[in-house]
Amino acid sequence: MLLKTKKLMKAFGGLKAINKVDFELPKNEIRGIIGPNGSGKSTFFNLVSGVYDPDPGSYIEFDGHDITNEPPHKVGELGLARTFQLLRLYQDMSVINNVMSGYHTLVPYKFIDAVIGRKKIWDQEKVIKEEMMELLSFVGLADYAEMNASELSGGQRRLLVLARAIAGKPKLLMLDEPAAGLSPVNVDNLMKILMRLKEKYGLTLIIIEHILKVVMDTCSKVTVLDHGEKIAEGTPSQIKDDNAVIEAYLGKKMDDEEMRKALAV
Amino acid sequence: MEKFKDIIRQYPFLGFIIAFFILMAIPSIFFTDLYQSHLSSLIFINIIVAAGLNIVKGYCGQVTVGHVGLYAVGSYTAGCMFMYLGASLWITLPVAILVTGLFGVAFAIPSFRLEGPYLALATLGGGEAIRLFIENGEFFGSTYGISSISQPELFGITFDTPDKYYYISMPIMLIAIYFSFSVLRSSIGRAFMAVREDPISAAASGINVKKHKMLAFILSAMFAGAAGAVYAHLPPGYIHPNNYTVIEMVTFLAMVVFGGLGHIWGGIIGAVIITIVYDLTRPLYEYQLFIFGLTIVLTILFMPKGIGGFIDKYFIDRRFKKKQGVASK
Repeated sequence: MLLKTKKLMKAFGGLKAINKVDFELPKNEIRGIIGPNGSGKSTFFNLVSGVYDPDPGSYIEFDGHDITNEPPHKVGELGLARTFQLLRLYQDMSVINNVMSGYHTLVPYKFIDAVIGRKKIWDQEKVIKEEMMELLSFVGLADYAEMNASELSGGQRRLLVLARAIAGKPKLLMLDEPAAGLSPVNVDNLMKILMRLKEKYGLTLIIIEHILKVVMDTCSKVTVLDHGEKIAEGTPSQIKDDNAVIEAYLGKKMDDEEMRKALAV
Repeated sequence: MEKFKDIIRQYPFLGFIIAFFILMAIPSIFFTDLYQSHLSSLIFINIIVAAGLNIVKGYCGQVTVGHVGLYAVGSYTAGCMFMYLGASLWITLPVAILVTGLFGVAFAIPSFRLEGPYLALATLGGGEAIRLFIENGEFFGSTYGISSISQPELFGITFDTPDKYYYISMPIMLIAIYFSFSVLRSSIGRAFMAVREDPISAAASGINVKKHKMLAFILSAMFAGAAGAVYAHLPPGYIHPNNYTVIEMVTFLAMVVFGGLGHIWGGIIGAVIITIVYDLTRPLYEYQLFIFGLTIVLTILFMPKGIGGFIDKYFIDRRFKKKQGVASK
C-alpha cells in the first residue's frame, strides 16, 4: 500500500470534519474522491499532506513511513505532492522559477556550496533548468517560461500548478479539483496531459473533482465522502448505483406511500 | 557580446574581478577631494546593508524594521572589541559578522508566528531595544559613543584617511554582493521567494519554511554586521547610538523599496541613489524624513517593483518580442 490511513479523525470544535476514515491506496492506481460540498474532501487532503494535524488516535502511513504528525515539508520530501483548490501559485515569480522551486528537495548541491558560489552549482542549475524546461514544454508552457505566473490565463495556471507538483518527482500526486472552472475542451486537454504525465513518471493519483465526467472516465476506483465519513468505495459504475451515494447527493428515494404522505402535509 | 555574457554567466566571479579593477581606478580618475571618497565608502556600507535587507525583505518577504538594530550590533561589536581589546578590523569584522548572525536568530523567531505589520512591530521593538540598551550601557560608552576607533593596516599601509579607506570598504562590498548573488541565484533564493509568495504551498513542495526564514534572517543579519563593523572603523572612527535610530531604518527601507524589492540588483541600485540623494539634501535636514517617507509611499503606489522591476520588464519584454518575431517568421 502506498498510502494508508486508519481511523483518521479531525474535529474543528464540535464539527467532525473527518470521522474515522480508513483509506487504502495501492501503487499506480487513480483514485477519485467525491462528495458534496463540505463533506471533508479537502480536509482529508490537508490531513494527509500535513497541513493540519490529525486528532489523537489517527494513523497515516505513506510508502512505509508513519507521517501522522509530520510537518508538511517532511511529507513533501517523502514524495507526496499535492495541488491546492485555490492553486496557490507563486504569483510574483517567473513560470520557470515556479516549476524549479517544486524541484527543491531534489537539488543536489549543499547550502555552503551555494553561498561560496562554486562553479558546479551553476552547471547543476543549468541541468535542472533544462529538465524543468522539458517538463514545461510537456505541459505546453515552454513559451511562457520567463513570464510572471500572474500573467497566465486560468487554464495555463492549472497546468503550471500541475507541472510544479510533478517537478519534485513525487510517488503520489494529490489533485484538489484540478479542472475547476475550466471549459469542457480544456478539461479534456488537462486530463489528457495528466494521463500522459502519469505514464511518463509512474504516478499514483488521488483526484478530488466535482466534474463527475472526469472522475467516471479516468478513475479506476472512487471513494465517496459525506459529512466526514466514508460512505462508499468501488468502481465508478458501482458508485453510480450506490444508494448511499445517491442519497448523499440527491436526498432519499421515496416510495409512493411516503411521497403521498409528504405531499399531503 | 553574447560570448562575453556566457563567460560571465559561467564564471560569475570574473564579473566581480572586472568590477574590482574598475572601482580601483575610479578614485584616481574622478575624485577631487576626500569627501567624495568618504561618500563612496558610505555608499558601499549602505549597499552591504541593503543587499542583506533585500534577502530577508525582498526575497523572503519578512517585513523587518529592526535591521538597524543588527547594524548597531555589528558596529558596537567592532567598537567594543577595539575599546577593550584594541582589535583591528581584520579581527572585529569576522567576530561582528558572527555575533550579528546570532542576533539574527533572535529576530527570526517572531517571524515563525507573526506576519506583515505584526512582525514589523515586533522587529521594530527589537531594533529600538538594542539601541536603547546601548545608549544606557556604560559598557558601550552610553551617550558618549565610542571614538577614535583604529583603522586597519595592511602591507604596511594604514588606511586612516577616507581616500585610503575606500580601498577597504570597496572589496568588502564586492565580496558581500558576490555572496548575496550566489545565494539568491541558487535554489535557496528560489526557496526564499516561494516562502514569500506562499508558505503553505512552499511547504507542500518540501521546502522547510521555518528553516528558510531563519536562514534569511541570519544571512541578512550577517550582512548588517559586516556593514556595521566597516562603518565603525570608517575614519574618523566614531560611532554613536544616534546613528542607529528608526530614521536610519527608514533610509535603508527606502533603498530597498526604491531599488526594487526582490530584485537581485534592487538593494544595490537603491543604496547608491538614496545615499547620494540623502547627502545632497543635507541642507534640508528637517524635510529629509518626510521626503524618504514620501518616496517609499509613492514607489509602492506607482512602481511597486522599484527601479529593478522596470529594468526587468524591459529585458523580458525584449526577449519575448524577439521570440515572437522568430516564431512569426
